[in-house]
Amino acid sequence: MAAQTTTSGLAPSEQQAKRRHPQPPRMRRSIKNEPLVFGIIGFVVVLIAWEAAIDLGMARASLLSSPTRIWSAAVTDFGNGALWPHIATSLLEWTVGFALAIVVGIPLGLILGTFRRIGMIVDPLLSALYATPTVALVPLIILLFGIGIGAKFAVVFLEALVTLTVSTITGVKSADPRHLETARSFGASRWLAFTSVTLPSSVPFIVTGLRIGAGRALVGVIVAEFIAANVGIGFYISLNGNLLNASRVMLGVLLVGAFGVFVGIVIGRIQRYFDRWRPAIR
Amino acid sequence: MTEQALALRATGVRMEYRDPATRERLTAIERMDIEIPEGEFVSIVGPSGCGKSTFLKIVNGLLPATEGEIEIKHSKGGSDHAMVFQDSSLFPWYSVQRNVAYGLACRGVKRKEAFARALPFIKLVGLEGFESKYPYQLSGGMQQRANLARALTVDPELLLMDEPFAALDAQTRELMQVELIRIWSEAQKTVLFITHQIDEAIFLSDRVIVMSARPGRILADITIELPRPRDLDIKRTPRFVEYEEQIWRLISKQLSVGPEAAA
Repeated sequence: MAAQTTTSGLAPSEQQAKRRHPQPPRMRRSIKNEPLVFGIIGFVVVLIAWEAAIDLGMARASLLSSPTRIWSAAVTDFGNGALWPHIATSLLEWTVGFALAIVVGIPLGLILGTFRRIGMIVDPLLSALYATPTVALVPLIILLFGIGIGAKFAVVFLEALVTLTVSTITGVKSADPRHLETARSFGASRWLAFTSVTLPSSVPFIVTGLRIGAGRALVGVIVAEFIAANVGIGFYISLNGNLLNASRVMLGVLLVGAFGVFVGIVIGRIQRYFDRWRPAIR
Repeated sequence: MTEQALALRATGVRMEYRDPATRERLTAIERMDIEIPEGEFVSIVGPSGCGKSTFLKIVNGLLPATEGEIEIKHSKGGSDHAMVFQDSSLFPWYSVQRNVAYGLACRGVKRKEAFARALPFIKLVGLEGFESKYPYQLSGGMQQRANLARALTVDPELLLMDEPFAALDAQTRELMQVELIRIWSEAQKTVLFITHQIDEAIFLSDRVIVMSARPGRILADITIELPRPRDLDIKRTPRFVEYEEQIWRLISKQLSVGPEAAA
């Protein structure tokens, strides 16, 4: 609570003393969950402005849609079940592709980071792959895997893989030499030094890789579906774009965005669990 | 001191290395011959860069010496030697107890047993009640207590300490010196202690070895004949101050001819 500034209860000398020191800035009443509350305010303001702009004829509803039109599109397409196959397919593509990237990318990063020579051989290749937008490879992947779900897995996998591997390598190399020396000094086996020093040191980097990789995997899903698909949220967006149905395009975009936010929150939880041995940064 | 078994014998240890920048061959340690009887507390002091930490790493087996031989008494149940590092050597992702038990884990002791065996040493260094805390939750002095407990837990014949109190503030450092004497007399270990603080070396040790500037060699091996148990007041006695002056004269002469003074 804010400090009261009344001085009636104080003796004159204390009042004097009080006057000589500048008052600390008055504390604002804090609101529970402040970031959330203000974040929601931002959302609501944008939604109202959007709706108002359309209703006042400042923009064309056929191009920009509006919150209420998106809402009614959502009610229709969720109501008749038309959206579910798209959501299920995209979710499957993302999950399988990203899971494969995790299973391959993290161990690969650990190996490349640990064994210097192998790392030297693979590093340039990895950097080249990292610099290349994987999207450019999609036509080739379709050539290789066809237009079925296998090609989608491959695109998502590739999108996430390099990020995961590169950040894991960085993590391994970030291990403090003093900690490695300590392990060696106590006669730790290579394996124990790895599990007790290298792995814990690289966890924060791996989690960052997961965060970025999850986003890139989502990009992979949408792009792959844009190019060749007959089901999936990316397909739903691109189809409705061709049909000039802005509301459904927006609905698709919002679903993808919401999923991205959700994944971010989950990874944040994971991060907090692994960061429990660090002082909280606030 | 009567004829006793040796905990450490270093003979003709010489260390050369190639400067990575200039490709020049440099001698870090010219020659070190040291014998430490069991149970003795020996300090090495010297100007910075004299190779004292390098020597400790050689004894620890972290660096191979160019020449010479290190013999350490083989321990029956425990480790031959254990190192207390200068700072940051606790694993921040492990609790105090897991850190202290780490040396045992390295020796293949199962987690549960290692944790149990770590407890008395956590108590010995005065960290009871902090077993499940993480290093970031401890002060610098407490971290060094845990660091010491980790080394003691493997029951080493020889305890190597590399400027363990260098990062602490002056008051904590003095407190830790007193604590170290207490722990040393309880644990009854042979200690080889590296420091650049002359008073710290005298206060703690039975013998102080003074090293020259690089290339390092032994300038003097001074037996400290101050009665034990010692407390901090002893630092103000004339005898103590005499030792301080004697050692300071040896080191300051090195500084005036050392490469740093010339540069």
